Amino acid sequence: MSDPAIVLGVIGADCHSVGNKIMDVFFSGEGFRVVNLGVMVSQLEFVDAAIETDAAAILVSSLYGHGEIDCQGLRDLCIEKGLDRIILYAGGNLVVGKTPGAEVEEKFRAMGFDRVFRPDVDLKEAAALLRSDIEARRAEAS
Amino acid sequence: MKKVVSIDIGSTWTKGALFALDGPAGPAVLAKRDTPTTQDGLGRGFLAVLTSLLGLPPETRLGDLPRDIPVYFSSSAKGGLAIAAVGLVPDLTLQLAKLTAMSAGGKVVRSFSFSLTEDDIAVLESAPPDMILLSGGTDGGNTAYLFENAARLAASKLQVPVIFAGNRAAASRVARILEKKDVVVTENIMPEIGQMNPEPARDKIRGLFLDRIVAGRGLGEIVEVLGSRPKPTPLGVFELVAAIPRVQPDWDDLCVIDMGGATTDVYSNTESYLETDTVVLKGLREPRNKRTVEGDLGLRVSARTLWDAGREIILEGLDKAGLPAEAMEGFIAAIAADAGLLPTGEPQKTLDRILAEACVFLAVSRHTGGWREAFTPQGRVFVQTGKDLRRVKAVVGSGGYLSRSADAAVMRGALNRLARPAEERKLAPERPAFYADAAGLFPLAGNLAEDYPEEATALALASLKPLE
Repeated sequence: MSDPAIVLGVIGADCHSVGNKIMDVFFSGEGFRVVNLGVMVSQLEFVDAAIETDAAAILVSSLYGHGEIDCQGLRDLCIEKGLDRIILYAGGNLVVGKTPGAEVEEKFRAMGFDRVFRPDVDLKEAAALLRSDIEARRAEAS
Repeated sequence: MKKVVSIDIGSTWTKGALFALDGPAGPAVLAKRDTPTTQDGLGRGFLAVLTSLLGLPPETRLGDLPRDIPVYFSSSAKGGLAIAAVGLVPDLTLQLAKLTAMSAGGKVVRSFSFSLTEDDIAVLESAPPDMILLSGGTDGGNTAYLFENAARLAASKLQVPVIFAGNRAAASRVARILEKKDVVVTENIMPEIGQMNPEPARDKIRGLFLDRIVAGRGLGEIVEVLGSRPKPTPLGVFELVAAIPRVQPDWDDLCVIDMGGATTDVYSNTESYLETDTVVLKGLREPRNKRTVEGDLGLRVSARTLWDAGREIILEGLDKAGLPAEAMEGFIAAIAADAGLLPTGEPQKTLDRILAEACVFLAVSRHTGGWREAFTPQGRVFVQTGKDLRRVKAVVGSGGYLSRSADAAVMRGALNRLARPAEERKLAPERPAFYADAAGLFPLAGNLAEDYPEEATALALASLKPLE
């Protein structure tokens, strides 16, 4: 099996580019085929790139507090476009203010995200989870 | 003295020139000839022009032509090389497939994204294009759509060549699926998201143009005897526009508008996107050298579709000139009755000018990208899609109407209109100088651009007429 492709980007009207670049370098180093769409990425751009590259996962970042609105409907769009099995992760400062992490996670899981990460996540840990999720999805499919 | 002949077989005229490449004052035009194109056998008109240029009797046979003067030639192939483009996602591989087809000198007659349906195949079967460009998927990316589309094409009645320029990982299986068809496999036009690789597919399109299309139209023998390979006419111009800034850096940031009776082509050679903190590019980063061709925009054969597409602008022009809409209706009807119509007096000349300005406006507008304002918590940014032509320094008008221009009014008027404030700010040339390809030399010099870029550039630039 070839290295899995993953699509990265910062969603919405969000221009925070530093973390996005760090993730690009890190996940490439971990053996993923990284398709990095950069900042200000729309839902449709994530989905289009995932279709062309046959990506296993979309990792959505949001740093400016409007993540909840920006991410709504992404799972539905994936299904509409035929990406039934794609893994969706979200991470960053997903909502404004001091909403407890568990509450945020619950919200995003309800929106169809498989995992939700806080800003201080250990990327090594995230990569390990991603690998096992991809393997599990592949095992289900075969 | 090193001499070469260049001939362009257009849909109406076959035009040729004899060039001296190393004249005392640099490359020079020694002779020019033209004759009506002989549609029932392109070779006859071609030979008439060639023998006349060389000062030989018109009955000279192909085999008796002198061999020391190379002959370059191009053909517009029955009004354009018709290509159907198939891609996966509309904004990604399909968009690039269309750009690739156009930059190879083709005209995109149909385009399809995702799965080809039975209806799509029926449409293709009822009016087969000259070839199909099948793309989709980045390398190592999606294969499912490609296999599905290849199978649909394999099961169809279509006999036209298929160029496969999609996901490398799917190539050998696609070739097997299409083994009963005429299939050519080449490199992926989009190996990675946002990365463009149009050249290999472009070469294959040109090869097919030569082997399967031109050869069948009375040119096969000429190709064999003269040993020169024709190009689609727009490919020659594309190569010339690519060569000029390499040879003459002062002529960097160049745009050529070729407005004909049936189609309008726009060529640009300028960096498509300047990265800054306040401008974010979305979609494809378009190539530095770009050609677009508009099959519905032209002054004669396409006058009716131009009137439809540009009604608002044309009505505004009529209003300014104090002419009623019926005047334009009448003019369009007169053109429909005689596609060779030349305006004789007023108001026809004004009507022609109004059409020309609308045509330039629409063709440049479709070629050019834009900015939309977006407000973010970090401040205002511009979201750019398409190509930025603001830095273009020279705009050259080519083709019948624009090459005969006495002034820059039509082109300047169209660009000024593009600069008007709108929701999307069009990134059209801001302060260009205008020129006319007054001698009609661009297609002829274009034929030489691949082998003699310096000479072709010198000939093309020397022939330009500055417009005020």
